[in-house]
Amino acid sequence: MIGAAGLVAFVALSVLAAPGDCPEDAPALAAEADLLIAEAGPSPDASTLERARRLYRRARVLLPTPEFSLRAADLACAAGDEEECGDLLSEAAETSSGGLTPADRLLLARRAELRRAWREAISQYQALRAATNDAGLSSWAEEKIRRLEVEVEAQSIAAPAAAPPPEARLLLAEARRALAAGDLPKARERLAIARRLSPGYPEAALVLAALETREGRAPEAIRAYREALATDPARFEALVGLANLLWDEPDRSAKEEALSLTDRALAARPDAPSLLKTSAVRWAEWGDAPKALARIDAYRRRASPEEKRATESLRESLARRVDALLSGRTVPEESSPIAELSSPAVDEWKVAQAYVRRGDPASLAAALEHLREAERLDPTFAPAPELAGAVHVKLGDLSLAQKAYERAIGADPTRAATYERLAFLLARQPGREAEADEAWRRAEQAGSSEALFALAESAARKGRRGEALALYRRYLGESPAGVHGEEASRSIERLESGRRTSLGAVAIAAAALLVIGAVVGYRRFGGRTFEEWIRAHPARAREARPIVGRLRHEVVKHGGLLLADAAKRLSEPDAEARRRTAALLLSRLYESEKSNRDGLIPQSFETLARLKILAREDGYRLNLEHKDPLFSPVARAAMVLAPVAGGLTWLSTGPELVPDRIVRRVVGRLERAAALFGSVRGAEISRLVDQASSTRVNLSALQDVLGAVCAEKGIGPPPILEWHGPEIAVRVDRADLETIWRNLFANAIDAAEGLPVSDVRLGVFAELRRDPVTGAPVARVVLADNVPRPLTADMIRGRGADRGWGVVADLLRRHDGSADVSAPPAAGYVKGIVIEVPAVETGMPS
Amino acid sequence: MTQPRNVLVIEDGTEYTDAFRNLVATDAAGSIELVRAADFEDARRVLSERAVDAAFLDVVFDRIAPEKLIGDWEGLIRRFGGDRRRAERHLAENQGFYLLNELAPLLPEGIPVVIAYDFSAEPERLAALRRRCEQVSGVTDGTPISAVLETLLARLTSGDTPGGLP
Repeated sequence: MIGAAGLVAFVALSVLAAPGDCPEDAPALAAEADLLIAEAGPSPDASTLERARRLYRRARVLLPTPEFSLRAADLACAAGDEEECGDLLSEAAETSSGGLTPADRLLLARRAELRRAWREAISQYQALRAATNDAGLSSWAEEKIRRLEVEVEAQSIAAPAAAPPPEARLLLAEARRALAAGDLPKARERLAIARRLSPGYPEAALVLAALETREGRAPEAIRAYREALATDPARFEALVGLANLLWDEPDRSAKEEALSLTDRALAARPDAPSLLKTSAVRWAEWGDAPKALARIDAYRRRASPEEKRATESLRESLARRVDALLSGRTVPEESSPIAELSSPAVDEWKVAQAYVRRGDPASLAAALEHLREAERLDPTFAPAPELAGAVHVKLGDLSLAQKAYERAIGADPTRAATYERLAFLLARQPGREAEADEAWRRAEQAGSSEALFALAESAARKGRRGEALALYRRYLGESPAGVHGEEASRSIERLESGRRTSLGAVAIAAAALLVIGAVVGYRRFGGRTFEEWIRAHPARAREARPIVGRLRHEVVKHGGLLLADAAKRLSEPDAEARRRTAALLLSRLYESEKSNRDGLIPQSFETLARLKILAREDGYRLNLEHKDPLFSPVARAAMVLAPVAGGLTWLSTGPELVPDRIVRRVVGRLERAAALFGSVRGAEISRLVDQASSTRVNLSALQDVLGAVCAEKGIGPPPILEWHGPEIAVRVDRADLETIWRNLFANAIDAAEGLPVSDVRLGVFAELRRDPVTGAPVARVVLADNVPRPLTADMIRGRGADRGWGVVADLLRRHDGSADVSAPPAAGYVKGIVIEVPAVETGMPS
Repeated sequence: MTQPRNVLVIEDGTEYTDAFRNLVATDAAGSIELVRAADFEDARRVLSERAVDAAFLDVVFDRIAPEKLIGDWEGLIRRFGGDRRRAERHLAENQGFYLLNELAPLLPEGIPVVIAYDFSAEPERLAALRRRCEQVSGVTDGTPISAVLETLLARLTSGDTPGGLP
């Protein structure tokens, strides 16, 4: 859109544009275009813009002036045609003999701002600043430039990732636990669902990377780490993890990237000692001794005496090489070990990797052939037998896998990854824990942090508390962002608390149990019920009614409709029926963009929360979850349903893969929730609200009000009041209803000026009707009088109405009621006022 | 092979249609054809174009454009003291009843009609609606969708309704 400022500038330019030495019809065409735009208002439509643009194109052909180019650019910009806009602006600048005026520059800058073309806007403001002699304008342009430069910088910053939903976080926590417990299939399953629920969830990508690493699927792990870095480029754990994997790759470019990633990680955590050491070793292997030396020195400044001793020889070696470099000497005995990692064996290994990525048995067999060839070509090339071991694991031949790993260790005894894989392999086999521990120890000697955690776990299992504690601490120290960080911290806490077991600890535990018991008891038995609150504060019923209505009609009714049948469908063996049912439930229970309505579970929690908030304003803490017989089934049903998201997601994507026990668990929860929704006494809840907010209308009650009005006015005795029809209950709370009647009676008495009060006759004609469309009960009450003073409908409606009618109208509106003037309902009366308000059908209050 | 029964489902979303389609037993699902209508005009068009064997009406229609809500706008605005928004809210929250009122003369005689409202605490209200549409019944809270379908597929014979439907 052109916008007001643009339009003003546009019209100004139109006025200033003067026809020069040219064919006469060019200005006419431009004027016609200007008229079109001016008539279209501030937001011309697309067809008007297009017509105006065509006219200017013809005008520019006849007379290519900068003014016409500028106006045409303005129109192109308004029409969203940035390309033509840019071309025309350039054309305007090129054809302007005396250069563009400050006003032209300002217009161009503003146009660029509208298009969010910040750099172009900066350039125009800079030109404006240079072209003007006005100090104020120059300073203003300077400030604009500064602000726009911030916009340019902001454009280059990636948007933060959206927070994952709670279900995804829950599933990720389960995946972590499963990974820590070594239950890799379960970890993978939980992770898959979490990632489906929250694509681009960096935490999930990190755990996936850890899982793939553990399963020896380096390419997949690399992909997962890259995914994590795509959303969080400074993520330390991802930088380190990816660097480690790439460093293990045979080609030099991968190692180069690994070095760069390690440096990025160090920039994020310059004080991470183990990473400094790793970086130093890698730079040394790469052949850059000065960088390696700088890092090893930085490491040693923070190291313990023992660690310093352990790195003494490396430091000396690096220092010699740096000296040699500085003095121009060569150091032939210490050439880079990885400089020549390009060979036929490596080529075979790469082909094998490609086959492994495909994953099918035929491809895996082909991969093994290429790896055999790689081993034959270069028996010292350890990655080949190492990958062969992983392939044998995939194919289920653990014996061949072990032999392959042992060959890899024989070829290169320094590779931590090979020991780790061997240890995992052994740990999977019953009775080989000691061998696995030995492999872990050798992995640890080769620099594996993973090994520290595994050994700590093993020591803890065997009751070697001190050793386990030391190992956990080492793990946390050496792998501060490690996948097992949380488990290690928890284990340390557990082991340390075990050490401190004493009478005092027992006393503390007992006290804690008492506190927990008190909290649980308070949660279960404390607080008030909805009924207690609403009976004590009946005026609140008007606000509670729509909330309760929503709970009944959107949650309880739909819950009852869906869940029992859904449980039956999920119990059937038909995979397609299961899939459709699960998809439907996911949409209805949790959220539904399609239906533009919250899911049943969030609606349950939200409606209960809204009731609690209302009650809290009256100083009531509602215990709807545990104590309230009417609402607790809803709360319990929502809590029963909340954890089935994972199972349903799985069923909705791959029902044939879901184990029966998962299906049974989901079905069981659905059945329990269905039973709970079925036990909700919805009608009773509504009746309770109706009763609390309803007031009986009868002769006795109205006589009391009339007597009070007369007493206030100093009149007595009150006029005659007659009652016709049944006693009724209306859905208006007592206080509001009394106010309405007080005003009605007072008006009638005030209107009877000159007429003795004893001659005033009032009659109430009550009737219970039904809304002709909805069938809902409506109370129709006519207050008739014999006061001759006329009354019209206009006099009793609206806020400006006289003599308290405004109050009556407002109160009636609040209770969905209405007031009108009617003919006298019986002989002896002059006129009537009809009040209609919702009535209560059953259970009238006493 | 019996002809599938046409069930007209009038709702502003697709929750009921989806539930009928996906949650009822396969044999029952095969015996019905669901036709969804989102408002009065939709429903009237369906009724003019094809035979309908049963009708199901949602009550709250708060997801359609206000101009598609049927009802006595002027009368309601007057009733609510000139407050158009309250009139609109009332119509949206009770649209199922307004639809029933307008469609009753257009519905084939005797077909089962279910409105998604629990009348268990308001039996006289249901009786009042039945004066306009004899065969209408409600849905008691907790009634499964299969029982609702059972009602829709039952011919009105003795006035009894299966499931928990009053």
